[in-house]
Amino acid sequence: MKKDKIPADGCLLEVNNVTMKFTKYEVGVDSLKELVVRAFKGDLKREKFVCLKNISFKIYKGEAVALIGRNGVGKSTLLKIVSGILKPTSGYAQSYGRISPLLQLGAGFDGNATGMENIYLNAAIMGYTKKEIDAKLKEILDFAELGDFIYSPVKTYSSGMLARLGFSIAINMEAEIMLIDEILAVGDMAFQKKCYDKLTELKAKGLTFLIVSHSDSVRDLCERAIWIERGRMVADGPSGDIFKRYTDVMMNPEKQH
Amino acid sequence: MEREKRSKFLAQQGYLLTLLVRRNIKNQYYRSFIGILWTVLNPLLNMAVMAFVFSSIFGAGITNGLDYPLYILSGNIIFNIMRTSTTGSLPCLVQQQDMLQKTKVPIGLFPTANVLSSMVTFGFSFIALLIVALFRLAVGKYVFSWHIVLLLALLPAVMLFSLGLSYFLSALYVFFRDIEHIYSVILTLWTYLTPLFYTIDVLGNPTVTRFMSFNPMFHYVTYFRDILTGIVPSAWEHLVCYAFGIVAFVIGYLFMCIVRNKIAAKL
Repeated sequence: MKKDKIPADGCLLEVNNVTMKFTKYEVGVDSLKELVVRAFKGDLKREKFVCLKNISFKIYKGEAVALIGRNGVGKSTLLKIVSGILKPTSGYAQSYGRISPLLQLGAGFDGNATGMENIYLNAAIMGYTKKEIDAKLKEILDFAELGDFIYSPVKTYSSGMLARLGFSIAINMEAEIMLIDEILAVGDMAFQKKCYDKLTELKAKGLTFLIVSHSDSVRDLCERAIWIERGRMVADGPSGDIFKRYTDVMMNPEKQH
Repeated sequence: MEREKRSKFLAQQGYLLTLLVRRNIKNQYYRSFIGILWTVLNPLLNMAVMAFVFSSIFGAGITNGLDYPLYILSGNIIFNIMRTSTTGSLPCLVQQQDMLQKTKVPIGLFPTANVLSSMVTFGFSFIALLIVALFRLAVGKYVFSWHIVLLLALLPAVMLFSLGLSYFLSALYVFFRDIEHIYSVILTLWTYLTPLFYTIDVLGNPTVTRFMSFNPMFHYVTYFRDILTGIVPSAWEHLVCYAFGIVAFVIGYLFMCIVRNKIAAKL
């Protein structure tokens, strides 16, 4: 269960020795037919592959941390563990505050409902009461800049508009911890700038961030970076250094190790 | 403090549940011309068709004193609670996968919302039933009795049963996507194995009658018809209805709890 008392040292998010294993079997079979066919073939080996191994870190109040690493090393899985959606195979992740996840923006809307209805539905699924949403409604609408489209069904929206709406909801609801997953390629330039400005503003307000991204603007926002490679933590330190080392390795793969 | 927090959490969940139910009902008749009126019209038209087709085959006199159109309608709307709950719930977790992958939300809420929307639909269908009953009353084929209030004793049992099935199916569907096709066959079979438009006496087969008592929907449908006719169902009948409901609910709920962690990984 979530504890709400913030520890004396100001740690908001604790990831302790987290290991996540998936069985390949779980990934493969998704129909009864498949299961029966494989059972007959004797092909039900539960091969495990380790997605994350012994990851530990703590994030303190007011910190902005970038999570970097090449595609498919388990960054998004780690975010899901942190937000409590996935349960790690061993170890634990503990958060001491409300989490606002900004993962896959624009996903999870109901196409037939209007933008307005989706704001309420989305925020309610994220765990907010009607009162809290009412209080934030104006800010969400102002930020999304959708005008009268907010009363149209969401299925008529462009993907950019969806992302705007998703971002506005997630970022305007008051949470202590923001989890952000590669969302910064959305919207036009003006909206991107606005997002960064908003993030900077929230950071100044003392919110805590955990961001998965590769872009340079994130480097400026975050003072700390955690580098993950093949499910293991390679480095954890000031973002300038880590980004530089990371870029070096990415650009010259043969120099690795 | 702790208690206050808990009640706030429950209030929040309740709010989310009402939003989900409202959305389900809206989507059901989305963009249709007369909208919500369909929930009343739909069972009426179905009944009309069935009464027209079957009344000459199974017809008069053997429906334990209940007028045939009412016999058909009553059976169908009770059966429909279970039918619409489960067919709606089956894909509901998979449909919500975007949301479930980014937010931690009690997954049981989604099937629960489906069952509650079915209950609301039942309310509208019940209005349709009352309309038909009034018409039959006018031509002297039906007499209202106070027993109809016993419906309030029946509905929780049907709801528990539907909830259990919905929990179980929605969770299972995450792992086995072909359940959808298998279940639609099972549901068709179930529809015909429940005396919805025929009466059990018509079959005249004692084996079938004995077998029928293992069909929970048979008990719910019979209960409903009894109270419409003006018979108080026996204590045993109450026990059976609730036993099926509670057992289904417990099994479904436990199953969902057990696989909860795997669902997020699987979606």
